[in-house]
Amino acid sequence: MMVEETKKEDHFLQLKDITTTFGSIVALNNVNFSVKKGEVVCLIGPSGCGKSTLLRTANWLTPPDKGSVSLDGVLVGSESNKNMSLNEMKVLNGIRAKMGMVFQQFNVWPHLDALENVVRAQLVVAKRSRKEAEEKATKMLFDVGLGEKIHDWPDNLSGGQKQRLGIARALAMDPVLMLLDEPTSALDPELVSEVLNVLKRLANEGMTMIIVTHELGFASQVADRVAFMEDGKIIEEGPPNVILKSPKTQRLRLFLDKLNITSFTPS
Amino acid sequence: MKFDLSYTIDALPRLLEGATVTVQVALLGFLFSITLGTIIVLTRTTLNWRILNGIIAVYVSFIRGTPLMIQIFLVYYVLPVTGLNLGAFTSGILAITLNSAAFVSEILRGGLTSVPKGQFEAAKSLGVSGVALWGRVILPQTFIASIPPLVNEFTQVLKATALLSIITVVELLRVSQQIYSANYHPVEILSGAFIIYFLLCFFVSRGSVLLENHWRVRRA
Ligand SMILES: Nc1ncnc2c1ncn2[C@@H]1O[C@H](COP(=O)(O)OP(=O)(O)OP(=O)(O)O)[C@@H](O)[C@H]1O
Ligand SMILES: [Mg+2]
Repeated sequence: MMVEETKKEDHFLQLKDITTTFGSIVALNNVNFSVKKGEVVCLIGPSGCGKSTLLRTANWLTPPDKGSVSLDGVLVGSESNKNMSLNEMKVLNGIRAKMGMVFQQFNVWPHLDALENVVRAQLVVAKRSRKEAEEKATKMLFDVGLGEKIHDWPDNLSGGQKQRLGIARALAMDPVLMLLDEPTSALDPELVSEVLNVLKRLANEGMTMIIVTHELGFASQVADRVAFMEDGKIIEEGPPNVILKSPKTQRLRLFLDKLNITSFTPS
Repeated sequence: MKFDLSYTIDALPRLLEGATVTVQVALLGFLFSITLGTIIVLTRTTLNWRILNGIIAVYVSFIRGTPLMIQIFLVYYVLPVTGLNLGAFTSGILAITLNSAAFVSEILRGGLTSVPKGQFEAAKSLGVSGVALWGRVILPQTFIASIPPLVNEFTQVLKATALLSIITVVELLRVSQQIYSANYHPVEILSGAFIIYFLLCFFVSRGSVLLENHWRVRRA
């Protein structure tokens, strides 16, 4: 299942000719998007422009109508394998585990305590022993600052703590790529930094990440590249100091103006 | 004729024996009904075959739209015609199961809709799918969300078992009838049965509260 031409460094993750429609809505319009190993890309754009759909294409949660995705030269999915066999599903599950996903609404499992949230997928997908999984989970929880909360229930955690639990759960699978969909949008302002600090640490450690975010200050600090989407297309992309300071397109300029009015970012 | 408590007390050992059968029938019937209800909900949502869904919908509306007593008679009298001779006890459990599963499947369907889509997505994004997705992530949450109506349904089942006396299952009510048709003291004996049924349901409901607290079910 190797796709030779995508083996290049530049195409660690490669989304090729992706078109996704929901009825009459074109969520992604023939998008080509690649991420290098170790690169941090921030996705910005107005509501409904297709940011979430793009992320969810990467791990095949939302299979596109057309196009293919590969990770490190291995095919994740293409339009031809929409009806998967059990075996193909197993392969996809293995790949998905390597792409950690973090959600705006956290989506931690409320019926399991913090430790068990991080343990479960390790047992089922990575086939680790319980002892191994618990050791790993404990370490991951300490790493995101939840060392004291190991046996707490999600209901008793703050939003920021839930999100860090979600991040620990993904990291326990030893992902090679992280997909983060507005990880701080549902948080009270004072809790945003505790999550962003974890993400900054990950970026410094060289984790490849795609982050949908409206935190432009954060984006300019951690992103190697910022991509601006509108109407299912990537309109403009480049290094943050170029994209955010001197946008080429009128649409991006308008979008940034609007963001700067609603969320004050001194620079 | 005044109320003579000694008749109730004398009957107590036999009444309790009958109550044991009542509890047995209720537990077994409910266990099977939970199993069948779960299977119904799973086929409905994961297979989603139109014909199967239609059959399930017809089954549920027939069960809900007819008296349980007729359902019990039908199972008891119709099955032997087809050559299947199950006996009163098994027929009774089967009737209870078929009846209760229709309600349980509706309860679980409601519980399932309370599980956010994000719970599925989080699992899938970690590579958890199929049996593990349902068994370890979705169904546990469905059941926890359904605890109050499920416990309520169990008390319904517990009370419904009294109807099995008409097909000669020797449960609490049948035992009571046997006793008072011999000693002609129906008030004392039925009062005893009355209290026993009440205590059973009372403790089940109390258990529900404990179960809920254990799972920290969020109340709106
Ligand atoms: N499951 C779905 N069914 C129908 N339409 C959908 C579905 N998912 C997304 N869409 C539509 O596709 C378009 C792109 O949605 P998407 O969620 O990717 O936008 P977004 O950029 O993430 O927006 P937001 O900033 O609001 O999260 C929107 O018009 C949305 O309504
Ligand atoms: Mg979105």
